[in-house]
Amino acid sequence: MPTNSGAYGENDATDSKATGNNENETAANVAGSSANVSDNATNTGSTGANANHDAEAKNTGSTDETLNAHVKGTSVGNVSGGTGGHGKKKGWTWAIVAAVVVVALIAAFVVIRNNRKASIAPAQVHTADSVTIGLKLAPTNLDIRNQSGSSLDQVLVGNVYEGLVARDSQNKVVPGLAKSWEKSADGMSYTFHLNRGMNFSNGDKLDASDVAWSINELVAKHYHDSEALMNFKSVTATDADTVKLDLTAPYANLLWELACRPGLVFDKNANYDMKTQAVGSGPYTVAKFVPNDSITLKANPKYWGTHKAATSTIVLRYFGDDNAAVNALKSGDVQVLAPVTENLAEPFVKDNANYRVAAGDDTDKFVLAMNSKGAKTSDLRVRQAIRYAIDHKQLIASRGGADKPLGGPIPSLDPGYQDLTGLYPHNVEKAKALMKEAGYTPDHPLELRLTYANTYGTELGDQLRSQLKPIGIDLKVNVVEFSTWLQDVLKNKDYDLSMVDHNESHDFSQWTQDSYYYNYSNQKVKDYYNQAMAASSDSQRDALLAKAARVVSEDAPADWLFNYRITTAMKSGVSGFPLNLNQTLLPLYNVRYMTQVK
Amino acid sequence: MRFVIRRFLLFVAALLAISVVIFAALRILPGDVASVMAGLNAPPERVAQLRSQMGLDRPLIVQYFSWMGGLLHGDFGTSLLTGRSISSMVAMRASVTFPLIVLGLVVALAIGLTLGVVATLATRPAVRSAFHFVAIVGGAIPALWGGLLLILLFGRGTGLLGILPSQGFPEAGWSSFGSALASLVLPALTVGIIDGASLMRYTRSALGDVMNSGYIDQAMACGYTRRQAALKVGLRLATPQLVSVVGLMFAGMITGVMVIESLFALPGIGAGLITDLGNRDLIAVQSELFMLAAFFLFVGFLVDLLHRFLDPRLKHAVQGGAQ
Repeated sequence: MPTNSGAYGENDATDSKATGNNENETAANVAGSSANVSDNATNTGSTGANANHDAEAKNTGSTDETLNAHVKGTSVGNVSGGTGGHGKKKGWTWAIVAAVVVVALIAAFVVIRNNRKASIAPAQVHTADSVTIGLKLAPTNLDIRNQSGSSLDQVLVGNVYEGLVARDSQNKVVPGLAKSWEKSADGMSYTFHLNRGMNFSNGDKLDASDVAWSINELVAKHYHDSEALMNFKSVTATDADTVKLDLTAPYANLLWELACRPGLVFDKNANYDMKTQAVGSGPYTVAKFVPNDSITLKANPKYWGTHKAATSTIVLRYFGDDNAAVNALKSGDVQVLAPVTENLAEPFVKDNANYRVAAGDDTDKFVLAMNSKGAKTSDLRVRQAIRYAIDHKQLIASRGGADKPLGGPIPSLDPGYQDLTGLYPHNVEKAKALMKEAGYTPDHPLELRLTYANTYGTELGDQLRSQLKPIGIDLKVNVVEFSTWLQDVLKNKDYDLSMVDHNESHDFSQWTQDSYYYNYSNQKVKDYYNQAMAASSDSQRDALLAKAARVVSEDAPADWLFNYRITTAMKSGVSGFPLNLNQTLLPLYNVRYMTQVK
Repeated sequence: MRFVIRRFLLFVAALLAISVVIFAALRILPGDVASVMAGLNAPPERVAQLRSQMGLDRPLIVQYFSWMGGLLHGDFGTSLLTGRSISSMVAMRASVTFPLIVLGLVVALAIGLTLGVVATLATRPAVRSAFHFVAIVGGAIPALWGGLLLILLFGRGTGLLGILPSQGFPEAGWSSFGSALASLVLPALTVGIIDGASLMRYTRSALGDVMNSGYIDQAMACGYTRRQAALKVGLRLATPQLVSVVGLMFAGMITGVMVIESLFALPGIGAGLITDLGNRDLIAVQSELFMLAAFFLFVGFLVDLLHRFLDPRLKHAVQGGAQ
């Protein structure tokens, strides 16, 4: 919208001129005088409400005159009171003027403030010392050892807390607090060599004893994701820089898991309320945390490593309302917005002189689970028919087109990925035939209930309903609160179809757990998975996982609607903001905002 | 005085009843904070462990009395999720919501009272129906739509006259007074214009009733013009009725501005309540609801008192009836 932005510019210019003239005057007006202020405000281009008020004031005058004339006409004795009446009328008018003045005063004050702010334009290119980033899902507390949710990983991992190892934007394991490691030949023992001279933000030294303590606490107290550390036997600090971790059996995902929550290292000597504070070794510290609203990160002055913060203050703001988020980027209150729905990002795409919009890969799988033990969905033909009937291209196109089709449980950034979209291509005739075989036609449809959380909007449900209708499925869409979904679907497994965004990475083990809400069980899958986890090389692991994923997809316990890709919109001038995986892994140390010359 | 005591006892009894209703109703909701905390991949044992850590496995009666016990000491409890005291959370949110409501009410009063009085005094049928139209249209505007319209007109970055922030509350809060106030202007206008329209209708009907009564004829017989009579006598007589309306409007706005808060991304009471409820942070929700109910009742109580103060006739009427 280049034309529009030009128009804004003009407006701003006129406003600031007016302000320049009026600034001193207003200061005087605030002190006491009244009538001038309302003029002033109108000049400054105040709100519509004022204009209305003025109009009303005039209206009142005219109405009153007719009224008075009327009164005078009927009562003779009032002729002398006429002047008195005018006096009263003035009093009344003054009351209205006073009301207008109050509103105008506020408006004028606000306008002047804003313009003053705007007038401090950057004289040259400089790197901003503060960047504000708009995000969506807000953490309720900072207790990363107990509280679930990717929003906590997003803000804390790699920024405030650091892990024994880390992962890069391709979801591969890279050195973290440990600069190198060795795996024993049997795959059951790992030795980590730590960096030297590390410390926490409170000044405490970070050494092998903190690492061993953190992992032991995790296991002993069953902190969040402790079960991801499979086959764990023991962890010990053999000296100040070396940590030895032993397993009861090989576990191919161990290093990756240690790059996530299970590998985070905490200060064993620090005593603080983990829900509201954070003491870590990362490049940032949490300066302020307002639950569900914002987090302010400040560069950690005691940071030990190479990821030194480029921007000294980073504010993360959380927007429940997508439109408010978009407005915040337009008005410059935030410089980055991630995620933004593609449809809302359109104005930024068009205005490519001022904004940059890009999508990044992620491990979000929109899983349409079909209860494998459900009364109606235990029939394989029904589940297969649903997979054939869903037009994934259409679903993706209606969301803007950035998402990727996904034919199975493993997304492209996870080990074991292969393109399985060919297993159930869109084929309505085949779907109809399968449904007919199962005993349902469009005239005698099968009634199914789809339960999903209201965070995903109603469009997906509507689209699925209309796509499944022609094959003889009457889909009742039941959009609920997330906590209700947790109770009904995840805990009680009381559902026909369910949809949720499984954004976790390396989460294939879900398909090997009989107790998980999918109600899915296949020994072949479990065998492949166990072999994969025991594999000695990554390529062997990946091949076995791929086999397992193919079997799962063939059994059709779910349909993978798409692999959600995060769209990020940012002001041009912002650099170093990660695009891949940025809803779970958001290293901020390299984020910079260079303001442009005008 | 007897009246005050009687009202106060009623106030306490109502609060007790409300506490039971709130507590019971929230326990009917499916889902709990432990499973929200544990997330999608946690094994059931982890959820059970969290439940017992947070004391959610205690009998409901015990949970109720431990909550009530805290309330009696003025302790509203600690949020299970945020780990902060609920009173401090509410105070933080109220520092956004209350100024918003007060500003909204000022706008509503400026619009509603002025237009209401003018509409009553208007004699020409065309003018009267024009005001009637304004009142109906204004009252019928959905808050969300009205807010969006104002953002499109005045929101910085989006508006035709982009001078006002359209979302968020300054991070520094009221210590950066100017931007805090600026961030509340558009939301307050949204609330104010819509409530102003309904206040206009109330004003007109209250004043209209008085205008048709003998008081006005009496005043006019004493030499007032119709307009003078309306302003000097009519408004005074209509005041008690208007005070009730404004009182209720004020109380109702606390939750009524919920939509506005979410549209303008303000961290207020309504937005907070929705989040807490979504997370099933029941201890927080029940204390917040309790505070709201208490506040609502308290405003009602004040309005009653004010009513009697403004309209001495009420007192005599009651006493007369008793004798």
